[in-house]
Amino acid sequence: MPKILIPTPLRQFAEKKDSVDVDGATVGEVLAALTAAYPDMKKNLFNDEGKLRSFVNVYVNDEDIRFLEKDKTAVAATDTISIVPSIAGGKIAGGK
Amino acid sequence: MIKIEQEAWQLMVEHAQKTYPNECCGAMLGPIDGDTKTVRVALPLENAYPGAQRERYELRPEDLLFAEREARKNGMDLIGIFHSHPDCDAYFSKTDLENSCPWYSFVVLSIQKGQFHHANSWLPNMEQTEAAKEELEYPHA
Ligand SMILES: [Zn+2]
Repeated sequence: MPKILIPTPLRQFAEKKDSVDVDGATVGEVLAALTAAYPDMKKNLFNDEGKLRSFVNVYVNDEDIRFLEKDKTAVAATDTISIVPSIAGGKIAGGK
Repeated sequence: MIKIEQEAWQLMVEHAQKTYPNECCGAMLGPIDGDTKTVRVALPLENAYPGAQRERYELRPEDLLFAEREARKNGMDLIGIFHSHPDCDAYFSKTDLENSCPWYSFVVLSIQKGQFHHANSWLPNMEQTEAAKEELEYPHA
Protein backbone atom coordinates (compact mmCIF):
# COMPACT_ATOMS: atom_id res chain seq x y z
CA MET A 1 0.00 0.00 0.00
CA PRO A 2 1.18 3.57 -0.63
CA LYS A 3 2.61 5.25 2.44
CA ILE A 4 1.70 8.80 3.51
CA LEU A 5 4.24 10.59 5.70
CA ILE A 6 2.43 12.70 8.29
CA PRO A 7 3.97 16.09 9.17
CA THR A 8 4.58 16.43 12.92
CA PRO A 9 1.81 18.98 13.62
CA LEU A 10 -0.80 16.66 12.05
CA ARG A 11 0.18 13.50 13.92
CA GLN A 12 -2.12 14.48 16.77
CA PHE A 13 -5.00 13.74 14.36
CA ALA A 14 -3.60 10.34 13.32
CA GLU A 15 -3.09 8.52 16.62
CA LYS A 16 0.39 10.08 16.80
CA LYS A 17 1.58 8.02 13.82
CA ASP A 18 4.37 9.48 11.69
CA SER A 19 3.23 7.56 8.62
CA VAL A 20 0.07 5.82 7.53
CA ASP A 21 -0.39 3.13 4.87
CA VAL A 22 -3.58 3.64 2.90
CA ASP A 23 -5.30 2.12 -0.09
CA GLY A 24 -5.74 4.03 -3.32
CA ALA A 25 -4.60 4.21 -6.92
CA THR A 26 -4.43 8.00 -7.21
CA VAL A 27 -3.38 10.86 -4.93
CA GLY A 28 -7.05 11.86 -4.59
CA GLU A 29 -8.04 8.36 -3.49
CA VAL A 30 -5.17 8.05 -1.05
CA LEU A 31 -5.94 11.41 0.58
CA ALA A 32 -9.63 10.52 0.73
CA ALA A 33 -8.74 7.26 2.49
CA LEU A 34 -6.52 9.16 4.92
CA THR A 35 -9.20 11.68 5.86
CA ALA A 36 -11.82 8.92 6.07
CA ALA A 37 -9.64 7.12 8.61
CA TYR A 38 -8.76 10.33 10.46
CA PRO A 39 -11.58 12.86 9.97
CA ASP A 40 -9.87 15.57 12.05
CA MET A 41 -7.14 15.69 9.46
CA LYS A 42 -9.59 16.86 6.81
CA LYS A 43 -9.96 20.52 7.74
CA ASN A 44 -6.19 20.87 7.85
CA LEU A 45 -5.80 19.66 4.29
CA PHE A 46 -9.01 20.71 2.52
CA ASN A 47 -11.10 23.88 2.49
CA ASP A 48 -14.90 23.98 2.69
CA GLU A 49 -15.17 23.42 -1.05
CA GLY A 50 -13.16 20.23 -0.73
CA LYS A 51 -10.10 21.67 -2.48
CA LEU A 52 -6.59 21.26 -1.12
CA ARG A 53 -5.75 24.30 0.99
CA SER A 54 -3.45 26.86 -0.59
CA PHE A 55 -0.65 26.05 1.84
CA VAL A 56 -0.69 22.32 1.10
CA ASN A 57 1.60 20.74 -1.49
CA VAL A 58 1.60 17.02 -2.13
CA TYR A 59 4.60 15.09 -3.35
CA VAL A 60 4.70 11.56 -4.73
CA ASN A 61 8.24 10.50 -3.91
CA ASP A 62 10.24 13.50 -5.20
CA GLU A 63 7.60 14.90 -7.56
CA ASP A 64 5.19 17.75 -6.89
CA ILE A 65 1.71 16.62 -8.06
CA ARG A 66 1.01 20.13 -9.43
CA PHE A 67 3.45 19.23 -12.19
CA LEU A 68 2.01 15.74 -12.66
CA GLU A 69 -1.70 15.14 -12.83
CA LYS A 70 -2.68 16.78 -9.56
CA ASP A 71 -5.15 14.64 -7.59
CA LYS A 72 -5.40 12.23 -10.51
CA THR A 73 -1.69 11.41 -10.28
CA ALA A 74 -1.29 7.63 -10.12
CA VAL A 75 0.33 6.09 -7.06
CA ALA A 76 1.86 2.63 -6.81
CA ALA A 77 2.01 0.41 -3.74
CA THR A 78 5.66 1.28 -3.23
CA ASP A 79 5.20 5.07 -3.46
CA THR A 80 5.70 7.47 -0.58
CA ILE A 81 3.45 10.52 -0.40
CA SER A 82 4.62 13.63 1.45
CA ILE A 83 2.53 16.59 2.59
CA VAL A 84 4.68 19.70 2.27
CA PRO A 85 3.70 23.24 3.28
CA SER A 86 3.75 26.13 0.86
CA ILE A 87 5.33 29.16 2.54
CA ALA A 88 6.28 32.69 1.52
CA GLY A 89 5.91 36.21 2.85
CA GLY A 90 7.34 39.67 3.02
CA LYS A 91 7.48 42.73 5.21
CA ILE A 92 5.41 44.96 2.93
CA ALA A 93 1.65 45.15 2.38
CA GLY A 94 0.80 47.05 5.52
CA GLY A 95 2.53 45.46 8.46
CA LYS A 96 0.53 45.86 11.63
CA MET B 1 6.47 28.23 23.74
CA ILE B 2 9.49 28.05 21.47
CA LYS B 3 13.10 28.03 22.69
CA ILE B 4 16.03 28.48 20.35
CA GLU B 5 19.36 26.96 21.32
CA GLN B 6 22.62 28.91 21.03
CA GLU B 7 24.15 27.24 17.98
CA ALA B 8 20.94 27.36 15.94
CA TRP B 9 20.31 30.96 16.97
CA GLN B 10 23.77 32.07 15.96
CA LEU B 11 23.28 30.54 12.52
CA MET B 12 19.88 32.23 12.09
CA VAL B 13 21.22 35.66 13.05
CA GLU B 14 24.29 35.25 10.84
CA HIS B 15 22.16 34.17 7.90
CA ALA B 16 19.82 37.14 8.37
CA GLN B 17 22.68 39.66 8.69
CA LYS B 18 24.52 38.19 5.72
CA THR B 19 21.41 38.32 3.54
CA TYR B 20 20.66 41.95 4.52
CA PRO B 21 19.35 44.14 2.89
CA ASN B 22 17.33 41.26 1.46
CA GLU B 23 14.98 39.00 3.38
CA CYS B 24 16.37 35.61 4.34
CA CYS B 25 14.53 32.41 5.20
CA GLY B 26 15.11 28.96 6.60
CA ALA B 27 13.73 26.03 8.58
CA MET B 28 13.97 25.22 12.28
CA LEU B 29 14.26 21.63 13.50
CA GLY B 30 14.24 20.10 16.93
CA PRO B 31 12.26 18.13 19.48
CA ILE B 32 8.78 19.00 20.74
CA ASP B 33 8.03 18.16 24.36
CA GLY B 34 4.48 18.93 25.39
CA ASP B 35 4.04 22.65 24.85
CA THR B 36 7.74 23.37 24.45
CA LYS B 37 9.39 23.36 21.06
CA THR B 38 13.18 23.43 21.15
CA VAL B 39 15.04 24.59 18.04
CA ARG B 40 18.25 22.58 17.94
CA VAL B 41 19.13 22.93 14.26
CA ALA B 42 18.61 25.90 11.96
CA LEU B 43 18.66 25.20 8.26
CA PRO B 44 19.25 28.35 6.16
CA LEU B 45 17.39 27.96 2.85
CA GLU B 46 17.50 29.96 -0.32
CA ASN B 47 15.05 32.81 -0.80
CA ALA B 48 13.39 31.72 -4.05
CA TYR B 49 11.20 34.79 -4.56
CA PRO B 50 11.62 35.76 -8.22
CA GLY B 51 11.29 39.54 -7.69
CA ALA B 52 12.78 42.07 -5.27
CA GLN B 53 13.91 40.16 -2.20
CA ARG B 54 14.25 43.26 -0.04
CA GLU B 55 10.63 42.87 0.87
CA ARG B 56 9.66 39.33 -0.04
CA TYR B 57 10.72 35.76 0.56
CA GLU B 58 9.57 32.44 -0.77
CA LEU B 59 10.57 28.92 0.20
CA ARG B 60 10.78 26.20 -2.40
CA PRO B 61 8.51 23.28 -1.43
CA GLU B 62 11.31 20.88 -2.35
CA ASP B 63 13.58 22.63 0.18
CA LEU B 64 10.90 22.13 2.83
CA LEU B 65 10.58 18.50 1.78
CA PHE B 66 14.34 18.24 2.30
CA ALA B 67 14.05 19.91 5.72
CA GLU B 68 11.28 17.53 6.71
CA ARG B 69 13.41 14.55 5.65
CA GLU B 70 16.44 15.88 7.54
CA ALA B 71 14.30 16.17 10.66
CA ARG B 72 12.97 12.62 10.34
CA LYS B 73 16.43 11.25 9.68
CA ASN B 74 17.73 12.83 12.89
CA GLY B 75 14.76 11.94 15.06
CA MET B 76 13.59 15.55 15.20
CA ASP B 77 10.61 17.52 13.98
CA LEU B 78 10.20 20.40 11.59
CA ILE B 79 9.12 23.03 14.12
CA GLY B 80 8.94 26.17 12.11
CA ILE B 81 10.21 28.67 9.61
CA PHE B 82 12.30 31.76 10.15
CA HIS B 83 12.69 34.84 7.98
CA SER B 84 14.00 38.36 8.36
CA HIS B 85 12.57 41.88 8.05
CA PRO B 86 15.34 44.25 6.95
CA ASP B 87 14.97 47.69 8.59
CA CYS B 88 11.51 46.77 9.78
CA ASP B 89 10.02 45.44 13.03
CA ALA B 90 9.40 41.73 13.58
CA TYR B 91 5.64 41.85 13.03
CA PHE B 92 3.69 39.35 10.96
CA SER B 93 2.64 41.26 7.84
CA LYS B 94 -0.42 40.72 5.68
CA THR B 95 1.83 39.14 3.05
CA ASP B 96 3.31 36.85 5.70
CA LEU B 97 -0.16 35.86 6.83
CA GLU B 98 -1.57 35.22 3.38
CA ASN B 99 1.31 32.89 2.53
CA SER B 100 1.58 31.13 5.88
CA CYS B 101 0.80 27.62 7.08
CA PRO B 102 -0.94 27.16 10.46
CA TRP B 103 1.03 24.05 11.39
CA TYR B 104 4.28 25.86 12.15
CA SER B 105 5.88 28.57 14.26
CA PHE B 106 7.07 31.60 12.28
CA VAL B 107 10.05 33.36 13.80
CA VAL B 108 10.69 36.83 12.38
CA LEU B 109 14.06 38.53 12.93
CA SER B 110 14.20 42.29 12.71
CA ILE B 111 17.50 43.38 11.18
CA GLN B 112 18.15 47.10 11.55
CA LYS B 113 21.01 48.67 9.57
CA GLY B 114 22.49 45.20 9.06
CA GLN B 115 22.45 44.19 12.73
CA PHE B 116 20.04 41.93 14.60
CA HIS B 117 17.59 44.01 16.61
CA HIS B 118 14.77 41.83 17.98
CA ALA B 119 12.65 38.79 17.12
CA ASN B 120 9.11 37.48 17.56
CA SER B 121 7.42 34.15 16.96
CA TRP B 122 3.97 33.90 15.39
CA LEU B 123 1.32 31.21 15.07
CA PRO B 124 -0.98 31.92 12.09
CA ASN B 125 -4.53 30.53 12.06
CA MET B 126 -5.99 28.12 9.51
CA GLU B 127 -7.89 30.82 7.58
CA GLN B 128 -4.75 32.97 7.29
CA THR B 129 -6.57 35.92 8.84
CA GLU B 130 -4.60 36.41 12.04
CA ALA B 131 -1.49 35.27 13.86
CA ALA B 132 -1.05 34.93 17.61
CA LYS B 133 2.24 35.86 19.25
CA GLU B 134 4.03 32.84 20.67
CA GLU B 135 6.31 33.00 23.70
CA LEU B 136 9.86 33.01 22.33
CA GLU B 137 13.15 32.47 24.13
CA TYR B 138 16.47 33.06 22.40
CA PRO B 139 20.02 33.51 23.70
CA HIS B 140 21.22 37.06 24.11
CA ALA B 141 24.25 37.85 21.98
ZN1 LIG C 1 7.71 38.75 7.08
